[in-house]
Amino acid sequence: MDTLKVRDAQDVEQAVRAAIASEQPLEIIGHGSKRNIGQPIATNALLDLSALNAVTSYEPNELILTVQAGAPFADVLALLDTKNQQFSFEPMNTSRLLGTPDIGTIGGTISVGLAGPRRIQAGGARDHLLGVHAVSGFGESFKAGGRVVKNVTGYDVCKLITGAWGTFAVMTEVTLKVMPRAEAERTLILRDLDDIAANKAMTAALGSPYDISGAAHLPGSALRTVQGPLGEIAAADQSATLIRLEGITASASSRASSLSKLLQSYGAAEIVEDSQSAALWADIRDVVPFAASGPRAMWPVWRIVCPPASGGKLGQEIARRSQGEVVYDWGGGLIWAALPPSADAQASQLRKLVDAAGGHATLIRASEDIRRAIDVFHPQASGVAALGDRVRKSFDPKSILNRGRMSRSLST
Amino acid sequence: MTIMMPAKDEAVLAKRNAIIAALQKLVPGEGVISSAAEMLPYESDGFTAYRQPPMVVVLPDTTEQVSKVLKYCHDNGIKVVPRGSGTSLSGGALPLADAVLLGLGKFKRVREIDFDNRAVVVEPGVTNLAISQAVAHAGFYYAPDPSSQIACSIGGNVAENSGGVHSLKYGMTTNNLLGCEIVLMNGEVIRIGGKTAEPSGYDLLGIITGSEGLLGVVTEVTVRILQKPETARALMIGFAEVEAAGQCVADVIGAGIIPGGMEMMDRPAIHAAEAFVHAGYPLDVDALLIVELDGPAVEVDELIKRVEAIALKCGSTTCQISESEQQRLLFWSGRKAAFPAVGRISPDYLCMDGTIPRAALPLVLRRMKEMSAKYGLGVANVFHAGDGNLHPLILYDANKEDEMEKAEAFGADILRLCVEVGGVLTGEHGVGIEKRDLMPEMFNEIDLNQQQRIKCAFDAQGLLNPGKVFPTLHRCAELGRVHVHGGKLAFPDLPRF
Repeated sequence: MDTLKVRDAQDVEQAVRAAIASEQPLEIIGHGSKRNIGQPIATNALLDLSALNAVTSYEPNELILTVQAGAPFADVLALLDTKNQQFSFEPMNTSRLLGTPDIGTIGGTISVGLAGPRRIQAGGARDHLLGVHAVSGFGESFKAGGRVVKNVTGYDVCKLITGAWGTFAVMTEVTLKVMPRAEAERTLILRDLDDIAANKAMTAALGSPYDISGAAHLPGSALRTVQGPLGEIAAADQSATLIRLEGITASASSRASSLSKLLQSYGAAEIVEDSQSAALWADIRDVVPFAASGPRAMWPVWRIVCPPASGGKLGQEIARRSQGEVVYDWGGGLIWAALPPSADAQASQLRKLVDAAGGHATLIRASEDIRRAIDVFHPQASGVAALGDRVRKSFDPKSILNRGRMSRSLST
Repeated sequence: MTIMMPAKDEAVLAKRNAIIAALQKLVPGEGVISSAAEMLPYESDGFTAYRQPPMVVVLPDTTEQVSKVLKYCHDNGIKVVPRGSGTSLSGGALPLADAVLLGLGKFKRVREIDFDNRAVVVEPGVTNLAISQAVAHAGFYYAPDPSSQIACSIGGNVAENSGGVHSLKYGMTTNNLLGCEIVLMNGEVIRIGGKTAEPSGYDLLGIITGSEGLLGVVTEVTVRILQKPETARALMIGFAEVEAAGQCVADVIGAGIIPGGMEMMDRPAIHAAEAFVHAGYPLDVDALLIVELDGPAVEVDELIKRVEAIALKCGSTTCQISESEQQRLLFWSGRKAAFPAVGRISPDYLCMDGTIPRAALPLVLRRMKEMSAKYGLGVANVFHAGDGNLHPLILYDANKEDEMEKAEAFGADILRLCVEVGGVLTGEHGVGIEKRDLMPEMFNEIDLNQQQRIKCAFDAQGLLNPGKVFPTLHRCAELGRVHVHGGKLAFPDLPRF
């Protein structure tokens, strides 16, 4: 494996140009913490961005942060923490689910765009990337977006680059919108609801004026073996449905009590506060029920996005047919499914159910063999897939960057 | 007219009658308009300084018709300009003499309201406000609220990524969209997203939003709706100096408060608005802030107190707090009427739309005052202060020789200044033709070429809305060429492992 550790954007340009000339695709990594997600990439050359790790500027009053793409994610979070700010899309830390070291860069975080529980209120990674400097598959440095929150100057290229898993361009510097951390948080916990009832309770909460920032449901069977904060709230095989409210203290408390009343037909809610609440949501965000350190370490894990109000029905059906386990986030709009091992991670059966529900499923944890054998990303209608591929080629016509990461036909 | 449009295709114009006949077959009934008198309403959009009658207007009412019209135009090399309600302030829907103007005004149906999934599916001609009205009975609304919301269409909002007073807290169009159906220039119908929080694959929804009608024609839109906040109250705060008002905005945000809206007006705008609507604005201040807090009553009451205290610390000279919905609306009435109010004090005005980092506000206002003296033209400022989005209104008289050119030059100087201080050319009105030739102020040739390559992926012949957004048009084949720079690794000093 040939590794190129770049020092600046010019190095990246040169590396990409050389790769074009030698027709040798590059795998782009920061810390490499998410290399085991996606289709295996057919290359022997690594482009390592971890040395591009400087904070360019942080202006808390402007709610703006500009950092180089290889900046360690944990350091960036710690920096924001000094000003009591955060990324409100609550990016997932994949280390516990994948069983990898707890590392990662901001570039990787944006590239995969895996938003956490607050996505239902604050949007995803794509809603927080304001500007980017990157090197395209033409070997050219370009910039897109800007350093202000309100900007419609030219195409919104930042949206394309977020969640493209490095197949459009090599990011060298990103400007992100940051937000103040809430003063207080309250989490309502409802017990022993089945998936359908929990889905209904979450739908009622999300349709209320109480500004919900998290709505998750953990069936008792998924919760049973969990260690840590979520394990501590688990009670005798009962499910737990959690609904989060954030804001100034008076508001969070008042909304929590109003919401308890609204949901009283679903049972009496227990209310958990502040740091105890935050610990629960960190575990939900990182899908700790299916952690690699737990009993389902060998089970493939799917991330399914579906219309939220039908999540309960879909999840129940997936669990029943696959003999697997599911947990729900985003009020039912995000289902994590851990399925008993099989050669194809039960892809065809699962995707049939997901398609019928109007959703899509991505295989997040699986062995390389399985990822080689099936489509990791959800197959799309042919017109959309072709358009997406034309757009990708408009950045990287020779498929030099992370070739095949999102497409099985390119990865082989 | 100082902005050049692409050269007319005489061969297409020579076939005008045949084109009209062909379009009439594709869109029967009254869907094709070709007489000069009837085309008159379509010759400009909200950017009224520029007018151009189209070759022909087509008003389809089904996706299938849109698809057939586009395919026909694609196969015959005919340009197409899409149009929603025609409220664009940057000339995005300005017709071309040799192009079909494709109006989406007949797409008026709300197709589905799904409260459980908090989603509404509408046709692109539905107005922004009509979406909120359709769900108001259940306490919901659609958050982005451009000033033209009574008239502007949701399809146009998607094309322009429209914002509004509330975008500081609730985002722009792009942050509130779930899905769309678009028709590509070759007639292909593509559906992206739906009722899910995010679509699969690449974020094509994100690139279509704000693409100013250059990538495809939107024929269906799915938006996210929200439950209305329990209550909203506003503060109206006066400052003797703009700097103090700017500091107040920064300190409110710095204190972790994200108001529903935070608007600033300068002295000329305050006076014009007060004379027009009598909102009770103080006339002895240099800057007026309107800060609206929304949410549960207990939260709003508490935040009102915090904002009032911050304002005092920053040296506010007056502060009124709305005690009723009527009073809150009165505070807003002057701000909402600021454009027509300025229209009363000047025969014509040019509305600019740059965004700057909030901290640069005092500098930008000071420099604008100098420019105003240099050009001999007045300027009034209304400002979405929370997100740094400026709307300078340049006052001029089109009947006076050179004043329009002077106003345009003044406007261009303001936008250059926005870029110079770290901001951008447009915060919500779009590039269109208005700012097209200023794009190189913000983007170099490589940046612009990369954007145009995206255009090529959607519309390889460049037939959809040409002449907008990009100052120079390139052929896709030329943009797509990869230059190979020698076969050897050019950086032997790079660390390898």
